[in-house]
Amino acid sequence: MKEKKDMYILGIESSCDETSASIVKNGTEEIATVISSQIDIHKDYGGVVPEIASRHHVKNITIVLEECLEKAKMTMDDVDAIAITYGPGLIGSLLIGLEAAKTLAFLYKKPLIPVHHIAGHIYANSLIRPFKFPLLALVVSGGHTELIEMTDHYKFQKLGGTLDDAIGECYDKVARVIGLEYPGGPKLDKLAKLGKKTYKLPTPLNDDSYNFSFSGLKSAVINLAHNEEQRGNKLNKEDLAASFQSVAVGSVISKTKKAIQDKNIKYLIVAGGVAANQVLRHEIEKLGEEMNIEVAIPPMKYCTDNATMIAAAGYYAYLDGRTADLTLNSTSSAVLR
Amino acid sequence: MILYIDTSSSYLYTGIVENGKIVVEIKKEYNHELSKTALPEIVSMFEDNAIEPKEINKIIVVNGPGSFTGIRIGITIAKVYAWSLKVPITTITSLEAMAMSSINDMIRVAIIDARREYCYASIIDQKDNFILKPVYIKYEELKEKLKDIGEYKIITNDKEKVPISASKWESYNPDIAEIVAKFKNKKEVNPHAINPNYLKLTEAEESKQSC
Repeated sequence: MKEKKDMYILGIESSCDETSASIVKNGTEEIATVISSQIDIHKDYGGVVPEIASRHHVKNITIVLEECLEKAKMTMDDVDAIAITYGPGLIGSLLIGLEAAKTLAFLYKKPLIPVHHIAGHIYANSLIRPFKFPLLALVVSGGHTELIEMTDHYKFQKLGGTLDDAIGECYDKVARVIGLEYPGGPKLDKLAKLGKKTYKLPTPLNDDSYNFSFSGLKSAVINLAHNEEQRGNKLNKEDLAASFQSVAVGSVISKTKKAIQDKNIKYLIVAGGVAANQVLRHEIEKLGEEMNIEVAIPPMKYCTDNATMIAAAGYYAYLDGRTADLTLNSTSSAVLR
Repeated sequence: MILYIDTSSSYLYTGIVENGKIVVEIKKEYNHELSKTALPEIVSMFEDNAIEPKEINKIIVVNGPGSFTGIRIGITIAKVYAWSLKVPITTITSLEAMAMSSINDMIRVAIIDARREYCYASIIDQKDNFILKPVYIKYEELKEKLKDIGEYKIITNDKEKVPISASKWESYNPDIAEIVAKFKNKKEVNPHAINPNYLKLTEAEESKQSC
């Protein structure tokens, strides 16, 4: 067999409130990653403030890049290509990573690879084990809830997605109603462990499509909390968290199950920040056993935004011939193709 | 060779200066496409003149005030360039660049409109010293400060929005060679420490402070 040269890709991610750089070898082996999170800054505002996020990205970008190269014991000359999240995300945030990536591509004459943020989340799994096709990717995060079928590397077919709120967004809003500090999703997950499913909540979009809807469920929780307060009843937060979580996760599982059956899927991967949710992880594993298919859930560190997944996806994007010139621009609402 | 970058307004002003002379410069209005075009424009200066990135031995970048997104684009390009190739870098404000582009025959007032009765302004005397350092200020307040100053000229591209009278008005068209000459020996800054000079908190921070 002809020996293939190893390929080292520098990934850069700045789509929301994390500035991250990472070097990944051949799309599968993490060499070094640095993530600078702004979570403590935005906590005071109850959510990510776009202008503040942009200001921190520009402040941190070269520090993150330098630390990453130092950690990898590499220089820019050792890097073969630069992968960059071009969208979707907060436009002001995306632009910082984009300009940094484009500048490095110019200075070192390296190929520039545009990576869709969701492709990144999906390819976080390739750092764990190789993909098997056809696969189904369930993407669950603060901005996305999608079912994507892949017949080969970088062949994406969106089966369905949320018609309104993303699941993570819904988690954070419900958490706020319960009185949990931003980001409330993970705290809600913890709280739910202590409760029982005593509150009755509507099942969202129980139809034949692969789509999701979470705004009705969110409103139902808000109304329920409001009504209980009006009646002078004390809200059992643990039970409400458990009841909400059961319905939300139940909806995701049922649509995922339908897609697996319809598309004869043998390999399921979960991606995105909500993949860190304990109940969802447990239910997905159960579903895998029930359907007798392989399931991959990335470890916690790859669930939240990071550049490792961007560098990994960048490798396969590069093999698929997806490079860009220096006119590459960011976009807040990129479609995964 | 010195690379100059200013993306703080609705114009891209960039150039390469060698021995006090402009090798190449670009002055171009852009329409919401700065993130797409700024770097390719800068790269074209290098390619059209067969200049290698390593030949640059100083970068002067405008750090604001002005368009928040615009400033960040220029600053990101400049700080990544300076950091990765270890090129000495220094920052100047857009208001200084405006003042220095104008002959020092009288006191110069550089103004950028900031909407809602506010502007960014700086007052600089004939010897290039600050009378008023770059500041985010109400037009009314600036008017007060100009009262006892005597004769002055206003340099701005927002004349129709400035409710102040002056003996002379000049629109801003940067003399990049002159700006570079004035600031080429300014102390260099650690690229990691380079940040936009917004002169203004974000709205979220402002409302939090007033709480």
